[in-house]
Amino acid sequence: MNTKLTISNISKTYPGCIANDNVSLEFGSGKIYALLGENGAGKSTLVRILSGVVKPDEGKVFLNNENIKLNSPLDAKKNNIGMVFQHFNLFETLSVFENLSIDSNEKNEELRFLVNEILKKYNFKIDLDIPVLNLSAGQKQKVEIIRCLIRNPKVLIMDEPTSVLTEQETEDLFISLKKFSEEGILIIYITHKLKEVLSLCDEVAVMRKGKVVSVSSTKEEKIESLANKMVGENLSTIRKKIKNLKYNEEILKISNLNFRSDDPYETNLINLNFSLKKGECLGIAGISGNGQSELFQILSGEIITDYTSIKFRNKEIGKLNPRERREYLMAFSPEDRISQAAVPELKIYENVALNNFKSSNFFERGLVNEKKIKEHSKKILSNFSVNTDNVEMKSQFLSGGNLQKLIIGRELITSPELLVCFNPTWGLDVGAINYIHETLININEQGKSSILISTDNDELLRLSDRICVIYKGKLSKIMDINEVTPEKLGILMGGGSID
Amino acid sequence: MSFDLNFIGILIGAIMASSVPLILAASGELITERSGVLNLGVEGMMIIGAISGFALMIITDNLFFAVIGSMLSGLIISIIFGILTQSLLTNHVATGLALTIFGIGMSAMIGKNFVGIPGKEFPLLFVNLKENIPFFGPILFGHSIILYFAFLLPFITNYFLKKTKIGLIIRAVGDSPTSASNQGINVILVRYSCILYGGAMCGLAGAYLSLIYTPQWIENMTGGRGWIALALVVFATWSPIKVLIGALIFGGITILQLHMQAIGFRIPVQLLSALPYIMTIIVLVIISRDSRKIKLNTPTSLGQIFYKEK
Repeated sequence: MNTKLTISNISKTYPGCIANDNVSLEFGSGKIYALLGENGAGKSTLVRILSGVVKPDEGKVFLNNENIKLNSPLDAKKNNIGMVFQHFNLFETLSVFENLSIDSNEKNEELRFLVNEILKKYNFKIDLDIPVLNLSAGQKQKVEIIRCLIRNPKVLIMDEPTSVLTEQETEDLFISLKKFSEEGILIIYITHKLKEVLSLCDEVAVMRKGKVVSVSSTKEEKIESLANKMVGENLSTIRKKIKNLKYNEEILKISNLNFRSDDPYETNLINLNFSLKKGECLGIAGISGNGQSELFQILSGEIITDYTSIKFRNKEIGKLNPRERREYLMAFSPEDRISQAAVPELKIYENVALNNFKSSNFFERGLVNEKKIKEHSKKILSNFSVNTDNVEMKSQFLSGGNLQKLIIGRELITSPELLVCFNPTWGLDVGAINYIHETLININEQGKSSILISTDNDELLRLSDRICVIYKGKLSKIMDINEVTPEKLGILMGGGSID
Repeated sequence: MSFDLNFIGILIGAIMASSVPLILAASGELITERSGVLNLGVEGMMIIGAISGFALMIITDNLFFAVIGSMLSGLIISIIFGILTQSLLTNHVATGLALTIFGIGMSAMIGKNFVGIPGKEFPLLFVNLKENIPFFGPILFGHSIILYFAFLLPFITNYFLKKTKIGLIIRAVGDSPTSASNQGINVILVRYSCILYGGAMCGLAGAYLSLIYTPQWIENMTGGRGWIALALVVFATWSPIKVLIGALIFGGITILQLHMQAIGFRIPVQLLSALPYIMTIIVLVIISRDSRKIKLNTPTSLGQIFYKEK
């Protein structure tokens, strides 16, 4: 089965933004194509056009040299184009099987047989009769893939599929995708992760500001060359971190910290002990779900422990709530920007006001001092190069990178002594990642401390002074950055032991 | 003794009759809400159904036309709600409230020439059986066809939602209209259909009141039953069978407390009158407290405006 997909002169304009500007591309089966670009480069619009969700203003799509009309998702399905969206298109309260049966014409028994065949063939393990909301992100994605496979797709489009997956799940996904490709399915893989492009794909098209700027074979590319094409300028390589030796004062001490949860989906933390010096960054590595989110919540005060287990600047603060901890000059940047760090429906300046209840003069006699908050917000926007100066804008319209800059800026502008970050560059593009990394290095140089809980090992190795690994709620011994290698981290993250 | 038993049978029959409008309206609203649309206009659509049914019965002298007409008028009123919320993207809550106010006012205007006119007798089925079988007779027989339909409806609705493809599509739309639309489902069409169906059932519920239960037109004769129906749907956590149970409890305690008042129980009348509301809520909360089931049955997108990307 040879498939050829041609996109010809596609343009799509939204008010105030050209999403796709005269895009032409050609794809053939047997290969995995990467569509690479920063957030907002127009990749998602292009694949939404291919899946019939969005109609282009101009341009045509050809499948095997035949001009196909894609006016609705049904048209895409009819033409055997399958799509796995970044934000899953599943019905959470329906069972897996109901999700699969909703758009199939087969009888239930036949469909069940077909689905079981697919499960067997690709070694997927999913219970068909439980509601989707009980599945992990990786399993949900498999349901989406199965939904496409049922229809014998000629083209399979994956929109940023690994942004919600663990490393193991990502590996499994890549194995499946390679299998599909060998079976003749044309795969278009949308991402902004450079490593994935090189390890998975055969060809790569780079998009920037709605245009295709380069098409090449991945064999000819390196991470640096792709990054430069994607960002459109020579990325300044981030400066190397120099350990801050000026201070020797201990700022945070965690002793015998235990956490037991009644919720079976949470991880218990077992006897954690560590301390942090002024001007130091402690990295905490680990595969997600090993207790990171519980640890973050304990540090931030969302979960309250006993007084003595957390000592910050010689005060016992284990029982204080997040607002009280902020008054002691702690700051927090949670993992989930949209639902934990910011309220997307609120305007930028309102979000800025949210974590500054006491330390500022934003509120007078119970009234909001809008002028002060707005001035303060403008300062954050310019100091942390957020890509807008409109403080009235709703936060949901900021891209992930700009929202993260706003959040970090909001936390740092009060000059905290300690910043706790949890996956601060999750899902961001290279430019934003570099900016955030630069900022985190800066605060250490200024004598402020940080704790970096992250699932991204490159990030940890770049920013930390010392690193430890969390596995099933226990911390490994803390290693100096000079003695850490990615291999050692890998062993510890998998539950092994070194030395 | 046999007299007492027969009296209890008659009492149960009366309870069933009084719960019919609740079952009809709540079953209709349940389908509407399962598609993610919150229509607070139930009371308004019911009362429009009541006056249209009664007026058509007087004008055409034909009960069949009256019943069909009441359903059509409920449906037509719900079209207004559909156009506003689905095509013009207005807020569901505000639009529904407006619909109720509109319905009550409109029905009073149409109805002013029909006040005081006696209604026509609605044919009841199996009347001899009712009189000849003690206890079971008055429970099972001697009711109107609409009552039998109403008591079947929750089971039909349950089967429809759980076992049929269209039911599955309605639940999917209620869960996530965006996902449904991306799967090629015509969300607006599904939601319109559910709104219209809900309207028709509310119209029928109104007609039951003005043609059968108290065959006459009285201004504001629905007396808040639309609101009870709405509350039933929510407290029954969108399960048709629990709606039926809730409606029977409500009807039952309403009738019982009337008897208690008549006998002269030494409980303040106000408290007795409040009893049906309190008991229905308590019972429904107790039988539906499984939080997992609530999550699975609740239409996630309830009351959310959906618009399709162009």
